[in-house]
Amino acid sequence: MSNFQLFGSIISTCLLGAASIASAAGETVQQDNTCFESRMGLSQVQQREIQPGVMNVKCSPTTGGVLFWGDPFDGTIPMGDMSVEADYSHEEAVVKPREPQIDRNKLLTICSMACHNGEYVPYPENKLARPLKMHKDIVPNSMQLKHGKGAIWCLDCHHAATRTKLIDHYGNEISFNQPQKLCGKCHGQVYRSWRNGIHGKRIGMWQKGGKKRWWTCTECHNPHDVEQGNRNSGFAQLIPEPAPVLPKGMSNADHERGHGEQAH
Amino acid sequence: MSKQKTKEKDANGATRRDFLRKAGTYTAASLSGAAMLLSDPKPAKATANVSWAEHFQKNYRLMTDEEKQEAVERLEKRYSEEFGKKVKVGSEPALEGVLFGYALNIQKCIGCRRCVKACVAENNQSRGEKQQIEWIRVLRMEKGKFSAEDRDVHGYPEDYGIQVGGNAYKPAGVVLEGQHYYEPDQVPEKDAFYLPMQCMQCEKPPCVKVCPVRTTYRDPDGIVVIDYNWCIGCRMCIGACPYWARRFNWGEPDLPAEEMNPDTHYLGNRPRMKGVVEKCTFCVQRTRKGRWTGCVEVCPVGARKLGNLLDPESDVRKVLASKKVFRLRADLNTYPKFFYFMD
Repeated sequence: MSNFQLFGSIISTCLLGAASIASAAGETVQQDNTCFESRMGLSQVQQREIQPGVMNVKCSPTTGGVLFWGDPFDGTIPMGDMSVEADYSHEEAVVKPREPQIDRNKLLTICSMACHNGEYVPYPENKLARPLKMHKDIVPNSMQLKHGKGAIWCLDCHHAATRTKLIDHYGNEISFNQPQKLCGKCHGQVYRSWRNGIHGKRIGMWQKGGKKRWWTCTECHNPHDVEQGNRNSGFAQLIPEPAPVLPKGMSNADHERGHGEQAH
Repeated sequence: MSKQKTKEKDANGATRRDFLRKAGTYTAASLSGAAMLLSDPKPAKATANVSWAEHFQKNYRLMTDEEKQEAVERLEKRYSEEFGKKVKVGSEPALEGVLFGYALNIQKCIGCRRCVKACVAENNQSRGEKQQIEWIRVLRMEKGKFSAEDRDVHGYPEDYGIQVGGNAYKPAGVVLEGQHYYEPDQVPEKDAFYLPMQCMQCEKPPCVKVCPVRTTYRDPDGIVVIDYNWCIGCRMCIGACPYWARRFNWGEPDLPAEEMNPDTHYLGNRPRMKGVVEKCTFCVQRTRKGRWTGCVEVCPVGARKLGNLLDPESDVRKVLASKKVFRLRADLNTYPKFFYFMD
């Protein structure tokens, strides 16, 4: 009986969490002082004044994307130790912690204690794709996970018992703040490019030795949906900023849409 | 209007002395309100209090350090009054041992135009319906159906593609030059790629060659800059630039005080006046202080890279060493410092 009650409370907690996700997603569009950096909904910044007359970010009025960083290092933490030698060992490197973004509705924390404690949700026996009952907001179609072409499954990246962590090849925990350690397991070439500063994004000081804010993998890519698919790009689609104003006297831009002789 | 009045009076029998006095005041008025040489009779707020000294200062390149300092302080005072906030006008010279280079990953660009808008937020361009100036343009290109075998058998495809071609036996295959005004609901689109263009900071800039007053020149760090005060608005440089990088202020720029970026540079993003040419300066107010440009920082996919071409460890040099790179219109021998690359 008590077991049944406990189970009920767990389910309701998880449902509560799910409900808060939905409301959070709705709010991000509504609040005009919240903007996003690269991934809409998962790299949110609250606009605020950091010095008199200086905002931490300026946002696009049309799409809500960040257009300007008043302080590029606002809200960052040191990147932390890396097992490999790279340029940033000589200069100050910071990252924006991902944990608050990913765990903003505390679902990870709650379900890590309540559901994924190794008992209520048993470990899967194999890596074959199967329909998921939960987490459809993250993976809408689990039969076709858009990452790894069927070769990987949840626990290849997520820690089996501690859901607030990722894992490396040896089962050691990796923080959500350092997803590059996880992604680099397979994407070695991209990882090397990223370390060299020619893949991915950094902001701050361009000079050698200058302080830089590094952007980690999941700040731009959605790890549950990276295959190019119809959009022909590893990035999620975004709403573009408005087109330039048409020159005076031009009523539309049909002339540039034509092909062949019409175009000239 | 006043001239006509004088004439009428003259005809009505005004003395020669009267006429000379009036003419004298007229001349004095136009000189002290020096902006009248440029702007319309109704002086806009921006030009109303341009000082004599500002109008008759030397070409920036020929100024001594003291004169530069004076010019900068004059401007800081004027802008601060005009925009109601503390405006800083920098005069940082080119950095020693630095040659700026830019690399753009054309495979990554999703065409979201965020760089365009970020550039406007940073560089104090004129905005709004009446006169919109953007330094970056993003062209949408449709993907061509191009293969070597097809070309040999059928010639260049006719229905779409951006490739040029055609010879004595085959018709030209060019059909589309890129779209400026694309506006889909979502980007990137399946059948398109995007080509952002801005000033390429050429090593042999055609715009500098044609400038009759030498107000635009190339600084030692590779940035082609403009002293707006010496620009006469002839727009020769606009005609000369093969990359469509330069813009002209046809009217009084429309820059709301609350949107104005107070961190400026004399040769860069300080507020411009009517009748001058402007263009991308690799955010000279930022890069000469070590910070990345607005467009590099804001690109949501990290397609934009800027670094020192003289430093083999810089991002740009690593791109040049390890990626497939091309420059626009390399055939013109302008030696752009803006590189496009693919993974």
